[in-house]
Amino acid sequence: MTAAGIATVARQEFRLRIRAGRWKGLLAVFFAVLLGFTVLLRGSLANVTDDDLPFTGTVLYGGLMLFVLGLALLVVPALAAQSVNGDRERGTLATLQVTRLSAAEITLGKFVAAWGTALVFLALTSPLVAYAMTQDGVPLGRVVVVTLVLALLLGTVCAVSLWLSSVLTRTTTSGVLAYLSVFAMTVGTLIVFGLVTAVTSETVDQTFRNDCSQAPPGSSCEEVVTFATTRARTDRTWWLLAPNPFVVLADAAPQLPQEEPARDGTEPGVRARDLDPLGQIGRLVRDLRVPPIEADDGGAVPGFEVEGAGQDDGAPVWPTGLAVNVALAAGALVLTARRLRTPTRQLPRGQRVA
Amino acid sequence: MVDVTRTGTGVVASGVRRTFGPVEAVRGIDLTARPGEVTALVGPNGAGKTTLLLVLATLLVPDAGQVRVAGWDPVTEPDEVRARMGWSPDVFGLYDNLTAREYLELFGEAYRLGRVRSRARAAELLEQTRLVEHADRPVHTMSRGQKQRLGMARALVHEPEVLLLDEPASGLDPRSRVELRELLREQARLGAAVVVSSHLLGDLEQVADRVVFVDGGATVGEHRIDELPAGTQLRPWRIRALDTDLLLGSLERHAYDVDGVTPAGVDVRLANDEAAAALLTGLVHDGVPVVSMQPVGGALEAAYLQLTEEDR
Ligand SMILES: Nc1ncnc2c1ncn2[C@@H]1O[C@H](COP(=O)(O)OP(=O)(O)O)[C@@H](O)[C@H]1O
Ligand SMILES: [Mg+2]
Repeated sequence: MTAAGIATVARQEFRLRIRAGRWKGLLAVFFAVLLGFTVLLRGSLANVTDDDLPFTGTVLYGGLMLFVLGLALLVVPALAAQSVNGDRERGTLATLQVTRLSAAEITLGKFVAAWGTALVFLALTSPLVAYAMTQDGVPLGRVVVVTLVLALLLGTVCAVSLWLSSVLTRTTTSGVLAYLSVFAMTVGTLIVFGLVTAVTSETVDQTFRNDCSQAPPGSSCEEVVTFATTRARTDRTWWLLAPNPFVVLADAAPQLPQEEPARDGTEPGVRARDLDPLGQIGRLVRDLRVPPIEADDGGAVPGFEVEGAGQDDGAPVWPTGLAVNVALAAGALVLTARRLRTPTRQLPRGQRVA
Repeated sequence: MVDVTRTGTGVVASGVRRTFGPVEAVRGIDLTARPGEVTALVGPNGAGKTTLLLVLATLLVPDAGQVRVAGWDPVTEPDEVRARMGWSPDVFGLYDNLTAREYLELFGEAYRLGRVRSRARAAELLEQTRLVEHADRPVHTMSRGQKQRLGMARALVHEPEVLLLDEPASGLDPRSRVELRELLREQARLGAAVVVSSHLLGDLEQVADRVVFVDGGATVGEHRIDELPAGTQLRPWRIRALDTDLLLGSLERHAYDVDGVTPAGVDVRLANDEAAAALLTGLVHDGVPVVSMQPVGGALEAAYLQLTEEDR
């Protein structure tokens, strides 16, 4: 495998994409939608308070990034979902396979082209990000991390779509399945997490101690009351939610500092951290990892969790989620290269070599 | 790096078998193609020609059999084979939005010739296949014959010593077919082992040194083209005379069965060359103004018809 071989394939794919023409239109629409979103979000923020809301940049940037991810997930599957079987259909794959390009070079070349195109879409957001950064509360480090994570997540979508195009004969099938896989990662993880958490929630006995000394004489007062209650064990199921791209993105964004001093003229205590959409999602999923406080035998009110009180956030969720995504991408690429390796022993039904 | 030993041996395949699920596409094909020769692969549709060529072209693993292409094993040493083998499939696509030049340069790079060499090779091949005028126009504006020639140029990009061509002449106009024949001869003259499958037996007869007949997935005959087995069957001959009525009358008198009468002439079936000579003598003796008399279809067609007839 050589870089030159990968570059040969990637350059070719890029050239075809550029000449196919539709991309200019698609890029223009993509940017227009993002611009519209940013303008509306900025406008809505201006309406919240008479005075300018503090840390507009934080809200603007967080909202924009979540929106960009959602929009990109609608576009990116199409970039690779017909890459291999489309070539097969047009009769251009086999002629490439008999050259000295290896299966890995063809796979990575196609992947680089698709991912590169996805990054072009991502790059379109930069003027809007720059605008958000001129507002308050968008540290550069956060922009760097969020951009990197976004790029990796889109790479996963490209790799999985590419793999689908290599295993499925029909381009329409692979196109539909590429979108389904994005759906599975976003909505699917949420549904599975919810259902599994519900199914695995456990019943525990909770004990209440009454103080019967104050009770009117003759009334039946039991010293100890025990009743059963169910509680969710999200600390055991949080990982189901971890691969969700929105969760990964939000949680990976560095949390804004706790102690940020309030700006002059704003209510004391308003911090960028409290307004940050990314940070809020991040804290939400980290809380899932915190196990419930176990019943304390001698305690006065055992078994009752005190929401948030004295608890630290749980450990970050994004390392797990990002690792799953990167592993998925790597696996998809390995399997694609295996599919493209020739000579082949087995042919899928109804598929001709050339 | 490609090893330069073990080359110059052309193609040797023996006992090749390949099934697709329940279909036995190839069940025992032997084929030898020597350097400097054009070997024709001839057989009816579904005989397994394309499948065999896919095996030779490092795309399919055979279920059984010994295969060497340019001295290397296409299954275990595909890269060595690919460096020395050019393949043009029966149907192939071109990248519609590329120009012919870009297309050839792409494949030059894919064969690891490097930028500079790829560019030079593309220019040479465009010249050789008469595509210079179309060099910088998108491929989708080309005619079918031009596309076919471009596909041929692609197969030649890395100056292969083994050339595998699957029905390269289909859809070509007569002029292009003549040029294709010249191109094949030229490749053989330069030392390549050329394997070409085709249904255009007349063309093959003019270009091939040897012919391998396949039918039902197996080799049924392998001959030098100038040593084709004399057919035991009657072969059609076509006679043209200035006066067709006179010709028909004479044929009737000599009790020949007339196959058909067309503007191109009168067809009769004759056993061999001696019978043809005798007939011509008789016609001239009868005073028929004969303009021409020639066999319809060549020896190859006769042999082909005989082989496939036996099969029925
Ligand atoms: N990928 C495939 N799957 C199933 N059957 C195939 C496949 N390729 C070829 N065949 C069958 O194998 C036989 C030989 O086909 P082929 O090699 O294309 O013949 P030819 O090129 O001589 O016309 C045919 O019966 C064909 O239907
Ligand atoms: Mg065929």
